[in-house]
Amino acid sequence: MAHIRISSLHKYYDSVHAVRGIDLDIRDGEFTVLVGPSGCGKSTMLRAIAGLENIDSGTIEIDDEVVNNLAPGDRDVAMVFQNYALYPYMNVFDNIAFGLRARKFPAREITARVQAAAETLDIVELLKRLPRQLSGGQRQRVAIGRAIVRDARLFLFDEPLSNLDAQLREGMRVEIKQLHQRLGKTMIYVTHDQIEAMTLADRIVLLKDGSIEQEGAPLDLFERPVSRFVAGFLGSPSMNFLPAKLVENGTYLGLRFADDVTLALPAAASQRLASRVGQDVTFGVRTEHITPARDGELDDGFVDLLVTIDLTQPTGSRTYASFKLAGVAVQAELRAHDVEQPGEQIKLQIDMNRAIVIDPSTELVI
Amino acid sequence: MSVPRATAAVSEQWVGGPFGDSRFKYFLIAPALFIMLSIALFPLINLLVVSFQGISIIAENKSFHGILNYQRLAGDSRMWKSLLHTVGLLLVALPIELIFGMAMALLFVDKMRGRQIFVALLVLPMVIAPIVAGATWRLMFDNQFGPINQIIGWFAGRDVTIVWLADSSFVWPAILATEVWHSTPFMFIILLAGLAGVDRSQIESAQIDGASAARIFFKIILPAIRPVLAVAILIRALDLFRIFDIIWALTRGGPGTVTETISTFTFVKAFEQFDTSFAAAVAITVVLILTAVTIYALRRIEIAR
Ligand SMILES: Nc1ncnc2c1ncn2[C@@H]1O[C@H](COP(=O)(O)OP(=O)(O)OP(=O)(O)O)[C@@H](O)[C@H]1O
Ligand SMILES: [Mg+2]
Repeated sequence: MAHIRISSLHKYYDSVHAVRGIDLDIRDGEFTVLVGPSGCGKSTMLRAIAGLENIDSGTIEIDDEVVNNLAPGDRDVAMVFQNYALYPYMNVFDNIAFGLRARKFPAREITARVQAAAETLDIVELLKRLPRQLSGGQRQRVAIGRAIVRDARLFLFDEPLSNLDAQLREGMRVEIKQLHQRLGKTMIYVTHDQIEAMTLADRIVLLKDGSIEQEGAPLDLFERPVSRFVAGFLGSPSMNFLPAKLVENGTYLGLRFADDVTLALPAAASQRLASRVGQDVTFGVRTEHITPARDGELDDGFVDLLVTIDLTQPTGSRTYASFKLAGVAVQAELRAHDVEQPGEQIKLQIDMNRAIVIDPSTELVI
Repeated sequence: MSVPRATAAVSEQWVGGPFGDSRFKYFLIAPALFIMLSIALFPLINLLVVSFQGISIIAENKSFHGILNYQRLAGDSRMWKSLLHTVGLLLVALPIELIFGMAMALLFVDKMRGRQIFVALLVLPMVIAPIVAGATWRLMFDNQFGPINQIIGWFAGRDVTIVWLADSSFVWPAILATEVWHSTPFMFIILLAGLAGVDRSQIESAQIDGASAARIFFKIILPAIRPVLAVAILIRALDLFRIFDIIWALTRGGPGTVTETISTFTFVKAFEQFDTSFAAAVAITVVLILTAVTIYALRRIEIAR
């Protein structure tokens, strides 16, 4: 068990400033996911915590001990690599036992522990095989086995599922989550897949260009993004963004689009934005908050809109339908049979309570 | 068999390759093969024939002498000594070159400032022809003007006049030093290439597992570079077995026959004493030994994979 404190961490690769002053506290037993687009410094951070990468300034503490100058082997961490990094000339048993042997465990205990880890991961019958005789998913299990057998205080995963096919990935995701619940260890998990991040994390740390853009519980980030970047990164399909102008609209404020359509903002948002009337803003709304309008009264904060559907993408349970609003393509999430054909007209409602308004000059949510 | 005709036709086409009839391709490569074989094989066959004749400086006797030359060879103590010298040098020089080359490669495999320049400088001896290297080191070992004696003199605090290349107790170390200087870069560069190909994340994973540097080297790195290592050792062993230039330039096999190797011995027999058929027999013996060793080694390498 371990808690980690990272303060003003910087890392340069020659002229590339890969990590730019990160502060992060990770609680004991927490499952933290580092997520962000390619090249944002996720792997670099993880490798710095593991001790595989020297850092240029800042401190990394594990259990209140500064580990900056500790060799990877002395940090008592375990890591699962993206390419698994299995030792190709050793069989599965020896792969899993490698760390125990390096730490001079007695032979009897090694056998017992490897056996136990293999049972946990359901790979007992593979122990005699070489890595190249395993499927991708089996290799993944061995790599995880190698990490758990040592009972390290901190587990690090660098995109462990990215080489697996979609179905296997889903299964392994569940297993990793179960593993975390069972072991109760502190885990840091790197991925660029936002669904993996949402489903696994106790806490998401969203990185961008080497800095933390936002951190918090997955639903926090999803529901209350601080910036356009966070709003666009989380959620699939991605959030709709439209340029608009804040205008007075009766009692409350409204958003006026290029074609003079105006959507009314709810009371809370109107109060918050009152000082910005007349400014250009970006309006953001998730697909699932644009739904077919029900008959009768609209709920508080909802607005309705008659649109012509240009394109439908059925996924089975849901159908994603595109329409144009002020010339910009917008996606709505409909039930399977709400629209049968492109070209149909439908009345949609937008939940303005869940919509966000972004200042285009700072890209921050206001 | 009840294989449908169409299926059979298709599979035949694939087996035959783009030319359909698989025999046709042999016609195409036959001329090239013939020329190559005649260039490679003719001298060898000629050598074999000569080794069964009685050609020497006194008689150009081309009649069949049976295994007479091979019998002479078996009883020639100078031949056996030269073989012993050759194998002895190989067994001493090869491990030294291997260890030095490996140490240097491990040192330079990590990125560092000025690495390219260092590697280029270290590889320099390799680009020098061995005969030139030998001649250069002969000057270095000169008992009066050579820098080696001078440098040792600085440490000893008095004039040193070791006659390196004529003193039978110093001549082998001198040859060894030259050979190691000249050939370690080859080991270095090959092993460097091998090490560069080792999967970094395996090493990192082992580091996190708490493995010592020695354990990582022997359990992860060495198995990964084994094929490269085996080929490097094989090439260098063959080279060392045939060593000629450096010894010829340094000592000509002297003093006396103290540093005679199988190659210098054969050369002396063939081109100084013109004992042609006997020299041919020696050469054939060497070819047989090396072929056997090479075939065995290649099998081992392949089986190990
Ligand atoms: N060894 C290196 N040498 C030089 N630059 C590097 C090195 N490793 C990473 N970088 C740079 O540092 C930045 C962060 O890289 P990092 O590998 O941490 O990204 P990442 O978030 O893990 O991306 P991905 O999702 O593609 O794995 C990138 O701009 C990358 O080009
Ligand atoms: Mg990465």
